[in-house]
Amino acid sequence: MNGMSRRTMMKLTGGAALTAPFLPGAALAARDKELNILCWEGYNSAQVLDPFRAQSGANIRAESLTNDPTMINRLRAGETSTWDLINVNNPWARKVMYPSGLIKPLPRAEFEPYFDQMLPEFKAPYKWAMSEDGTELLGMAQRFGPYSFVVNTDKISRATAEEQGWDLFNDPALEGRYGILESDDWNVFNMFMVAGINPFLDHSDAEMAKFREVAERIVKGARMIGDIAMMNQALVSGEIDLHLTGGTYSVSPARADGNLNLRAITPLKGAIDGKGGIAWIEITSTVANPDLSPLAQEFLKYVQDPEIAHTVAFAEGTFNPVTQMGNPDCFELFSKDELEAIQWESLEEDMARSAEYDIVPDYDEALDILTAAKRLRG
Amino acid sequence: MAMTQSAPEIPVLQLAGVRKTFGSFEAVAGIDMKIREGEFVTIVGPSGSGKTTLLRMLAGLESPSDGAIELRGRRINDVPSNRRPTCLVFQSLALFPHRTVGQNIEFPLKVRKVAPAERKARALELLRMVRLPEDIYGKNVMRCSGGERQRVALARAFAYDPDVLFFDEPLSALDYKLKKTLEKELKDLHRASGKTFVYITHSLEEAMVMSDRIGVMRAGKIVQIGSPSDIYAAPRTKFVAEFFGELNAIELRREGAGYVRADGAPIALPPTALESARAWALIRPELMRFAAPEGSANTVAGTVVNEYSFGSRNQFQVLSEGRTWLVEAPRGSDSPRLGDAVTLGWDAADTLVVED
Amino acid sequence: MAAPADTPRRRPGTRSPIPPGLRAAVPVLLLLIFGFVAPLLTVAAFSIAEPRSYDVFTSFTLANYAQIFDPANSVWMSFAWSLALAALVVGILLVACYPVAWGLVHVFGRWAPAISAILVFPLFVSENVRLYGWVLFFIKGGVLDGVLKVFGIGPVTDLLYTPGMTLFGMSYVYFSFMLFPMVLGLAMVPRDLVDAARDLGASRLMIWREVELPLAMPGILIGMLLTFVLAAGAVAEAKILGGQSVITIAQDIETAFTYAQNWPLGAALAMVLVVIVGALALFVMGRLDLDRILGRR
Repeated sequence: MNGMSRRTMMKLTGGAALTAPFLPGAALAARDKELNILCWEGYNSAQVLDPFRAQSGANIRAESLTNDPTMINRLRAGETSTWDLINVNNPWARKVMYPSGLIKPLPRAEFEPYFDQMLPEFKAPYKWAMSEDGTELLGMAQRFGPYSFVVNTDKISRATAEEQGWDLFNDPALEGRYGILESDDWNVFNMFMVAGINPFLDHSDAEMAKFREVAERIVKGARMIGDIAMMNQALVSGEIDLHLTGGTYSVSPARADGNLNLRAITPLKGAIDGKGGIAWIEITSTVANPDLSPLAQEFLKYVQDPEIAHTVAFAEGTFNPVTQMGNPDCFELFSKDELEAIQWESLEEDMARSAEYDIVPDYDEALDILTAAKRLRG
Repeated sequence: MAMTQSAPEIPVLQLAGVRKTFGSFEAVAGIDMKIREGEFVTIVGPSGSGKTTLLRMLAGLESPSDGAIELRGRRINDVPSNRRPTCLVFQSLALFPHRTVGQNIEFPLKVRKVAPAERKARALELLRMVRLPEDIYGKNVMRCSGGERQRVALARAFAYDPDVLFFDEPLSALDYKLKKTLEKELKDLHRASGKTFVYITHSLEEAMVMSDRIGVMRAGKIVQIGSPSDIYAAPRTKFVAEFFGELNAIELRREGAGYVRADGAPIALPPTALESARAWALIRPELMRFAAPEGSANTVAGTVVNEYSFGSRNQFQVLSEGRTWLVEAPRGSDSPRLGDAVTLGWDAADTLVVED
Repeated sequence: MAAPADTPRRRPGTRSPIPPGLRAAVPVLLLLIFGFVAPLLTVAAFSIAEPRSYDVFTSFTLANYAQIFDPANSVWMSFAWSLALAALVVGILLVACYPVAWGLVHVFGRWAPAISAILVFPLFVSENVRLYGWVLFFIKGGVLDGVLKVFGIGPVTDLLYTPGMTLFGMSYVYFSFMLFPMVLGLAMVPRDLVDAARDLGASRLMIWREVELPLAMPGILIGMLLTFVLAAGAVAEAKILGGQSVITIAQDIETAFTYAQNWPLGAALAMVLVVIVGALALFVMGRLDLDRILGRR
């Protein structure tokens, strides 16, 4: 770099990153050096983004949110001209965002070969990456994981937890011994699961009444409701023995710290066609941005690289399996401890027992019931 | 220090060796003083002379580092201010800004749990005493004029019914005319009430109007105390003399049984009992003349460099051999003009010879 | 004040229709309009949009407000908890901050700046981090249990995740917001007035009641107002220390904007909170004579 020090360069790019969001006009003019990502925690980490920044010389901005509806509604509210990539759970791309014109398909010929390198269940055409009619490729799959509940196996054995499954939360003896993770979309699923009702179907009044009864009782009996850090801290200290809503995504940081007694549980059986748990798969799609950054597709290819895929799996905050572990070049990058943190040894069976994250038809009503149930705690 | 103590009565206040130090700074450096019942004593001094500290010790807001303060023969060093039969009128007046005139005046009565009706009657009486109209009673004190506030503060102090009233330059913020009026009213109140007043000010002029006795303070000590006329006629030091206004001062040095000018020039001096090595000859500007006195050494030749009008008289600055002389003459008299060469002179009898 | 006669007057033709005071205030007005009024108007507009829609400025309905005031809706409990907790925090902090403020003004002397700095310093650390710190203190087997164990006491259990702990967290977080206006209030009491009251015979209690307290009241009221407004909108303490043992109104607003994606409802909840807190603030500010506070000396 002649005549310009590295420091000056970093200052310039840093300054541009700060001002870019406020200068939409300027942004339009130079989209080939800019990329905006709306994502779950992990993709916004410097470990993942910095190599791409260095490689592309572009301004990369990533904003992380902790629930899908908010991200999708940001696009609905007119931010499609801001974002280039959106990273949400599996059903939204094919069921909501593509039909609503919020995302653009990817060129199949260019991207489908990547699916061949993935774990067996993700081979192309992968259902959640495709449009409903099966013709368009809507996004790429990377992180995934089972997400039901987490127990301290010193208090409740893995076998007991898997066999009793959601009924654990119906056990009066465990009242005040469990927490609830504050991901309320998942809590809606899981209250249905505890009630023995498939969350992803239309519900009768009787089923909703049952849901209400369960929600009020489970919420009332919880020691506390809080975020992932609170749940792990409470599990480690012994304030609680288990918590509703949780899986590798939430417990992996605690396991990586050596708390291998904390474990994501996928029940053996449950109300969704016999499946015991629920799992999520993130699909990253290109936004229907009228002036989409050419770097969007570049980035999707970039994260397929074994090294980068491993970095994504172990980005700060949360550790997760990635589909690219189907590629031996990627898999060998995972240490024994890392595999233990993400419960690799049972991942296949847990995923097999899990239904995939889906949309609850009467989510609004169920969430209102859950929200009201929380107020009854006080 | 000579005290004029004619009556054998017990003084209302007596100070013996009173000192106050703040860290290594000695604000009051040993004061002995007696204040008689019903007296109006004024302590005069420049800022920093320790007069406010002295007053705060008398009022009980500071305790002396050393020495004794006695009230009617009883030592009160450790009696808190709310138990002393004395009351201080602050320089800031310290009126309660969130209260009405009436509430301010009634405050000491409320403290003593006087019934409201009685309080109000007394407050109205005090308003009359300080020449304020009754309808000011319900007015917020912050809406009052400077002169009204002054009178309210006075009425409040009287409501406490103290044996001794202290005043900490309460008139300093007022305009000249109002100050003059209030000085006289204060003197009248003093006479009418028969209470003892101890007043401090940096203005000797103010002290002269009101006081029975004046003490001049410098650097924590009282350098001279006496009646106003005594102090005016016979200031003991240049410092005291300068309190009365600008002076022409000529430094003297002891030679033989008398004094000569320190710079060696000739001077005719009146007889003096002083014996100190250094002394000053002081001549008031109004006693200087634009003429050399006959047969006297007291003369100076110079040039008029400045002229100031003081209303009824003019002051001239005359430069002579690098020093400036002040001369005052009545307006309209046969005065020189700027740049004129003049000869100044004064009578030996008009010269004050004082200590350094 | 009348202009002096020799002030050059603007010729009639060049006179601006806008008074100079208003012109000078334009930057501040613009800042207020874009930084404060515009967002509030947007929230107000959303609050009258169709529930669960984004049809702001194009639809009008009072359905969101009807939903909030529907007796069957338990959201009043969240309002009640928020306002009650805020009132309690104000009460606790009045008692807790007064001695500290008094000390800072009258006792600590040259140590006062250092003590203030120590009290201010935590404000530079994220509130959540500080609250997690308290979780580590109170959690089972945490710092408190560890210390008690040394003395052979405990362990104490079930301290965390209670409304009481929420109250503790809020009192901790808003301590400075009560303290410093109070310090300002007490510092505004002229020393002479206290001396004068004492000199006029008043006891300590009387001085406090008649002089110190009324004169410090503007600062105290501002502290109370600040604390109440902030506490009424608090959520982190109820979540992190309280474990959502009670739900505050701010959390309901948050849920409406996130998981429920019902922005109009969230906006209506926010407007109701703004109206309640705003009415209270106006009431308190109405009792403050700012002219008197500023023009006292």
